[in-house]
Amino acid sequence: MDAIALDKLMSRVEKPARYLGNEWNMTKKESYDFRFALCFPDVYEIGMSHQGSRILYHVLNSMDGVYCERCYAPWTDMERALTEAGEPLFTLETKSPLKDFDIVGFSLLYEMCYTNVLTMLKLSGIPFLASERDGSYPLIVAGGPCTVNPEPIAPFFDAILVGDGEDMEPEIVNCMRRARADGVSRTELLERLSAIEGVYVPSFYEPVFENGRYVRMERKNPLAPERVRRRVVRDLDKAPYVGRQLVPHMQIVHDRVAVEVMRGCTRGCRFCQAGYIYRPVRERKKETLLSQTRDLVRCTGYDEVSLLSLSTGDYSELHELLPRIIDDMAEQKVSVSLPSLRIDSLLKEDLEKMQTVRKGGLTFAPEAGTQRMRDVINKNVTEEDLLRAVTDAFTAGWCGVKLYFMIGLPTETDEDILGIADLARKVSACFYRLPKEQRGMGFRVTVSVSTFVPKPWTAFQWVGQNEQEEIRRKQQLLKTAMKGVRGGELHCHPSVLSVLEAVFSRGDRRLAPVLVDAFERGCRFDSWAEHFKPDAWAEAFAANGLTMDEYAYRERDPEEPLPWEIVDALTTVSYLKREWNRAKEARTTKDCREGCNGCFGERCEDYCRISKE
Amino acid sequence: MRIIAAFQKNKEISYTSHLDVQRTLQRAFRRANLPLAYSKGFNPHPKLSFATALATGYTSDGEWFEVELDRPIEPQTFIDRVNPVLPDGMRVVEAFEADDGIDTLSKLIRAAHYELTVHFDAPVSEQQVQNAVRSIMGNEPVIVDKKTKSGVKPADIRPDILEASVKEVSDSSAILDVVGTLTAAGGLRAETFVRALFDRLHLNGFFTAHRISLCFEGSDRLPRLR
Repeated sequence: MDAIALDKLMSRVEKPARYLGNEWNMTKKESYDFRFALCFPDVYEIGMSHQGSRILYHVLNSMDGVYCERCYAPWTDMERALTEAGEPLFTLETKSPLKDFDIVGFSLLYEMCYTNVLTMLKLSGIPFLASERDGSYPLIVAGGPCTVNPEPIAPFFDAILVGDGEDMEPEIVNCMRRARADGVSRTELLERLSAIEGVYVPSFYEPVFENGRYVRMERKNPLAPERVRRRVVRDLDKAPYVGRQLVPHMQIVHDRVAVEVMRGCTRGCRFCQAGYIYRPVRERKKETLLSQTRDLVRCTGYDEVSLLSLSTGDYSELHELLPRIIDDMAEQKVSVSLPSLRIDSLLKEDLEKMQTVRKGGLTFAPEAGTQRMRDVINKNVTEEDLLRAVTDAFTAGWCGVKLYFMIGLPTETDEDILGIADLARKVSACFYRLPKEQRGMGFRVTVSVSTFVPKPWTAFQWVGQNEQEEIRRKQQLLKTAMKGVRGGELHCHPSVLSVLEAVFSRGDRRLAPVLVDAFERGCRFDSWAEHFKPDAWAEAFAANGLTMDEYAYRERDPEEPLPWEIVDALTTVSYLKREWNRAKEARTTKDCREGCNGCFGERCEDYCRISKE
Repeated sequence: MRIIAAFQKNKEISYTSHLDVQRTLQRAFRRANLPLAYSKGFNPHPKLSFATALATGYTSDGEWFEVELDRPIEPQTFIDRVNPVLPDGMRVVEAFEADDGIDTLSKLIRAAHYELTVHFDAPVSEQQVQNAVRSIMGNEPVIVDKKTKSGVKPADIRPDILEASVKEVSDSSAILDVVGTLTAAGGLRAETFVRALFDRLHLNGFFTAHRISLCFEGSDRLPRLR
């Protein structure tokens, strides 16, 4: 794109730094023979915060002759400017159109970004459907957690990568290079790709529907695997990390050094898709983490480090690692933050230590208001745990706490809803019980309530979501109950969006035309309240003879075939059924660090170290 | 020790905001491992301040800032350590140690010198642009809608324009040389000047701005008004 055209576009958008590139640590390459466009279907400040993309950017650019560039979803002002100027969407590194790349790869982190994928393809002049693209177009691929149910977006992609990407992505690049050298057809390329563990080629399969329901998947190419097994990086300690982390010019959502201490979680919360699809738990050694942290702080100049994982408090060497990292960083005035700490793992000394550097916000996620409900979801946290943790925090000087809950959980009653307010009241009492001179000022207990969305590959994958009216009734009930909680504040997420999320997370291939239809009716950035168009979505479903209710609210029979079973997520369906039955009886399942629960069935030994211990 | 220095901001990063630039410099100083002096308090931050902000999208040959260090360091060493860790498009071009008693830069600044490249949405002749600039530089008030904190208000920008001339006109674009007042209290904004130009030519379009220099009073080491 020429300089004046770019200036003209930039002059028309609110935040031009989103499209600028040239950040510190950006990879520049002069000679390369393979171009990879790493695309994120949301705005720059969100996409740039995604750790997975950071890893892939580093891994791909470490390959000889491969140049990986980035592209994010343009905000609506840039989309308009590009459309009016007739210019294609461009990458940040070399300002090239996506059509010029060999592979265009999208990271799919949440279902509500699907329409943005279409925006990005449209602005690149790339047809939406794989069946409408010949070999002259780039290979369009997707990866990320959403691909454990690839079906709703399957027709858009030539290949979909399920599981950890750091080994898989270089393999697909090399596979494509070899295929090109061998001069093979597009179909043969896809056949070769489908032989890579974790790669799903949707055009080789056709879902069959009878009486409006999914019944089975028909394999159209005998070379394609029967099921696509989720890919797993076995040794995280030796796996590549982010190398030289990019330092953006503008402020991004997670604007700090992020060090991934482990992948996976052993807790087994039954609602949590991440807890199931990142198994088994894999840790990095503390020495590795210390040296990675030092390197990253040195090469970025950031003054904040975050120790990243699904449950950092469970990291087995945390109490040796934390004091060393904090001391190391305090010298350089770098603060250390720990997202996703669990209540029971939070120690008073750690809190006091963290406070010496900087006092961050304090967030706990009891997820449910009563012990019975927490047993159903297997969130093995007790009221005593929570009250002890907040009392420690309040004594250490914190005077605000945020509590996360879900409503609409299976077997939930009004008593469970009222339990949320009750818990907030007890937390508040913990603060005011302290002598005045021992506690801070301006106390706040913020209760944040979201609507439960049943997800594939969890124990709750069969559950029907609460209908919107019921959710609103429960929200109202809670609102009333929260009155009179001293320092209490209630935030309820709107429930409309959760319905759409439920639809797409457990959807099938019939939803792809609905997505295209909704896109054409103007749906973009659906997770942004100001852009979400519920009416346009309703019209798109109606036009395709489908209803959201069927996908979101219907409880599935555990014997019913499910469209996402084309993927083998390693956790077996029979294990999920067992968990679902235990949930209905409010029986908990132990943390698998205390002993193997057998979630991978006969493959436990192959895939999980814990099963051998 | 207080270092006063100037950096260039080029095309590669022109679309960053003043806050972005501030963060970029702070992080670069940390990468350069400079002995930064930090403010006291819960959120210690390096003591870094600017003569003025540069609007998003503008480029510049000399944006002046000052930074406090805990230990003395040679100004040339400062430049040599910071430049390799600055992103493309940003470079420190000058640095000196502030004499005791020199006021903060934001109190000394008086004016700014710009080169404006204006792209009109229709072809123009050199004569048309010359006439428009002459009309702006006359004795009459130049009323332009000016964005302020309390909304858009018509304002006379004529007192803020010190010099303006046409350097080059070709097809539908023009290059202008403009000097405007600039103090902590305010001054000429290039976009209002261009607005006045569009009004006179009954045209629209967009522009890019390059700040050739800032002008100060009260120190021999800083650039002065011509």
